[in-house]
Amino acid sequence: MAAGTVWKGIIHFGDTDVAVKLHTAVGEERIQFHLLHQPDQVRIRQQMFCALENRPVSAEEQSKGFEVEEGKYILVDPEELEQTAPENSRMIEVHEFVKTAQIDPLFLGRVYYLEPDVQTKGYAALARALRELEVSGICTWTMRKRSYLGALQTSGNVIRLSTLRYADEVVAVESLALQDVPLSEKELKIGSDLIAQLTVPFEPQKYKNEHEKKLQEMIEKKARGETITVLPPKRLKPTEPDNLLQVLEASLKKAA
Amino acid sequence: MSRTFIDMAGRRIPLSNLEKDLYPSYGFTKAAILDYYRGMAPYILPHLKDRPLTLKRYPEGVEKGSFYEKRCPSHRPAWVQTAEVVHDTEPMTMCLANDLETLLWAENLAALELHVPLARAGSPRTPDSMVFDLDPGEPAGLLECAQVALIVRDLLSGMGLASHVKTSGKKGLHVFVPLNRPETTFEDTKTFSRAVAMIMQKHYPDLVTGKMAKIERQARVFINWSQNDASKTMISVYSLRARERPFVSFPLDWRELEEAAGKGKAETLQVTHAEALEKVRAHGDLFREMLEREQKLPHL
Amino acid sequence: MAVQGIWSGTISFSLVAIPVQLVTAVETGRVSFHLLHKTDYSRLTRKMICPEEGTEVLRNELVRGYEIAPERYVLMTDEELESVSPERSRTIEIIEFIDLKEVDPVYFDHPYYLVPSKGGEKAYRLLAEVMRRTNKAGIAKFVLGEREYLVAVKSSEGALELITLHYSSEIRHDTDLAPKKDAVTADEDRRVKKSIEKMMQEFDSGKYADSRRKGIMDLLMKKAKERPPVEAPVTTEEEGEGPADLVAALEESMRKVKGSA
Repeated sequence: MAAGTVWKGIIHFGDTDVAVKLHTAVGEERIQFHLLHQPDQVRIRQQMFCALENRPVSAEEQSKGFEVEEGKYILVDPEELEQTAPENSRMIEVHEFVKTAQIDPLFLGRVYYLEPDVQTKGYAALARALRELEVSGICTWTMRKRSYLGALQTSGNVIRLSTLRYADEVVAVESLALQDVPLSEKELKIGSDLIAQLTVPFEPQKYKNEHEKKLQEMIEKKARGETITVLPPKRLKPTEPDNLLQVLEASLKKAA
Repeated sequence: MSRTFIDMAGRRIPLSNLEKDLYPSYGFTKAAILDYYRGMAPYILPHLKDRPLTLKRYPEGVEKGSFYEKRCPSHRPAWVQTAEVVHDTEPMTMCLANDLETLLWAENLAALELHVPLARAGSPRTPDSMVFDLDPGEPAGLLECAQVALIVRDLLSGMGLASHVKTSGKKGLHVFVPLNRPETTFEDTKTFSRAVAMIMQKHYPDLVTGKMAKIERQARVFINWSQNDASKTMISVYSLRARERPFVSFPLDWRELEEAAGKGKAETLQVTHAEALEKVRAHGDLFREMLEREQKLPHL
Repeated sequence: MAVQGIWSGTISFSLVAIPVQLVTAVETGRVSFHLLHKTDYSRLTRKMICPEEGTEVLRNELVRGYEIAPERYVLMTDEELESVSPERSRTIEIIEFIDLKEVDPVYFDHPYYLVPSKGGEKAYRLLAEVMRRTNKAGIAKFVLGEREYLVAVKSSEGALELITLHYSSEIRHDTDLAPKKDAVTADEDRRVKKSIEKMMQEFDSGKYADSRRKGIMDLLMKKAKERPPVEAPVTTEEEGEGPADLVAALEESMRKVKGSA
C-alpha cells in the first residue's frame, strides 16, 4: 500500500545527487477523544490569550519574540527562523556520516521512506554503500517552511530518512539521579538465565491492539445507556529487595 | 571544541572551550571566568542559595548576543539541584546553584550573568528583600543614580529602615532593603516601593521618575519599583556583567557613594572582576546584612 | 530530581514486580521564544477556552468525550478508561524478551524513561543490568490514558528506557519503493564509498544543537540591528500615591531629608 508523496528532495553530498520522493512510513487510525467543558459539553479550544485585553488572540494577531532583556523582545518572523536552506530549496544536505550504531534510538524521530524520483541515478549505489559500511548520513533540509535535522539510513534496499532530536531536547540519564545498588553475582546469573528462557524472535505481526475493540464496545454500551462495570486496575505487589533472589529462582523454575 | 573534566568533591564537571575569549575587546577567556567564580564562590553562593536561576548565556562571547535560559538544561549532572517553579501557568524545572560544582557547571555554559528572584524556591511568594532598581535615562548616568540612591537611603532611614546599595554592573544602581520575615508579601514591597518612587518623583521631578513610559525617563533616574514581583529577577550580587569589560554587580559602601556624589565623579564606582576579588578578600561579604537582617515594613 | 511523572505503576517480568514511574525522555526544543500580541507586544499564554462562553476553562472543569454524532458525545471518566483493559493500565507485564537488533527502527514511536519508586531500586537495577549483559529488551503492552501501547523496555546506561512501538498493521510496506533495475557498477560503488569515507565523523548530538542555536543567535543579532527590541506594555500606570498612612510617614521623612540638605 504505497502512500502518497509527502515531499520531493535531492540528497546531496560531495558530487553525489540523488532525487527522491518522501513517503510517510506510519499510518495510524485510532479512536479520538475530545476535551469538553463539563457543564455544557462543548468542545474546548486551545488558544493564545492576551492577559492585558483579557481575550483570545488569533494567529494573524500574533508575533514571535525572543526575550533578550526582561520584557524586551526581538521580533522574529517564524519562517526566517526555520530557514536553513534558501526558500524552496529541495536539498537534503548531508554534512557528515557516522557509524549507525552510535545513534541511540532515543534520538530517532519520525521515519520517511525514500523512493527514487523518476530518472534519478545513484539511489541503489547509495543504498548499498550505506548498508555495507553500516553508516548513517547526518543531514538537514527545509520542508514546508520548517527545518529538520535527520539521518539517512538503509533498510534492505530502501533508503530512509529519520528526523533526529537535538541533544538539548533529550533528557540525559544522568539527570534521573538513579541510585547505584549492589547486586550479587547469583542474582545476576539467575536473572540472565531467566531472560534467556523468555527470549523469542521478534515477530511484530503477532501483537494486536485489543484495547481499541474493547474501548469501542464500552463506548457503544454507554451510548445505548447501559451501565458499565468499572473494574479496578490490576495492581501487583512489588517484590521486596530482600526476597529478590528467591523470586528470581522461583521465576526461573516456572519458565524452564 | 576542546573538552575536559575536573573532579571535585567526587563530582565530575565537564568543561569545554576554556581558551575561548568571551570578552574579546578586553581579553577574558572562559578559563578566567571560571577562576573568577571559583574565587567568588564563598561570597556569592549564600546569595544564590535556593533561588531559581535564570541563566543569561553568551556562548559566542559578549559581542555576539545572548539568550535567557530559565529551564534547567536537560543535560545536567545528577547532582545539580533543581526546583519546580510555575511560570505562566506552566510548571518548569529550574536550576539551583547551591554548591560550587553547580556554579562552575553553569559558568561552563557561558552563563556569564546570573539572575535571581527576590524570593527563595521554598517560599516563592515571600520576598526576603525590597529593591529600588535605579535606571538612568540618558544623559543621566551613574552620578545621578548615586544622588538618587543617597536620598532614598535617607528617606528610608527616616522610616527606620536600613538599606544597602550595589552597582548593577551596567548603568545603574540597586538599593536593597533586607526584610527576611515570613509574613512579607510582594504586595507589601510593591506598594511600599511604589509609594517611595512617587514621593521621590514629586519632590525631585527633574531628577527622578517612577513612571515606566519612555518619554518620562529621558534625562531622569527611573525608580523601577515594579521589580518587586514574584515573576521578576535581578542580577545577583557578585555576578559578572556582559559588557565590553567584565564589570561586576558589586556592593558599595555608602561613604563611597557620598564621596563620588560630592566630587561629581561616579565612574570610579564600577568594579571589575579583579577589583571584586581583591575587595571581598580584604573585607568579606559586604552584602552580608542582606542575608541576616530582619526588618518590617511600617505603615502598611 | 524533579522530572515530570506521567504515569505510575509496576513493571514485571515473570514473578518479579518493580514499582516505577514513567517520565519524559524528550522535552520540546528549548530556545525560548514567546508569542506576543502584534499590536502591543504583550505576552500571550496558552489557555483552554470554551467557545460558547468565551472564557477560560480550568482543568477541573474538563471532561473527556467521544463524538458519536455531530455534537453528541459519550463521556468517559479516567476510572472507566482504566477499566477497559484493567490488567494493563497499572502494570507493564514483560512476557518475553527479544534482541533489539531484530527490531526495524521504523517501529520506534516515542521514548520515555522508567524510574524506580521507593523500594524498587534494587529490582530495577537488576533488570537494567541483566538486559544489558544479555543484550535483550523486554516486550510488553500497557494502557496509558486512551491508548494501548506495544512497548520495548531496554537498558540504557543503567536506566530503563521504554519506547512505544507501532503495531505492524500501522506500518506501511516499503519493499516496492526500491528501484526495480539499478545495477551498481564497481566504479560507482567505489566512488560513493570513497565520498562517504571522507566525511566520516563521530556522532555528537551536542554539536548539532550548538550549531542550530548559533544559527538562531546570528539571525537575532541581524534582526536586532535592523530594529531595536520592542517592549511589552506596562500594566496600567496606577494613579494615586499609595496608602494614606504610608504616604504621610514618607512625607514626614522627606521633610527631614530636605531640611538637612
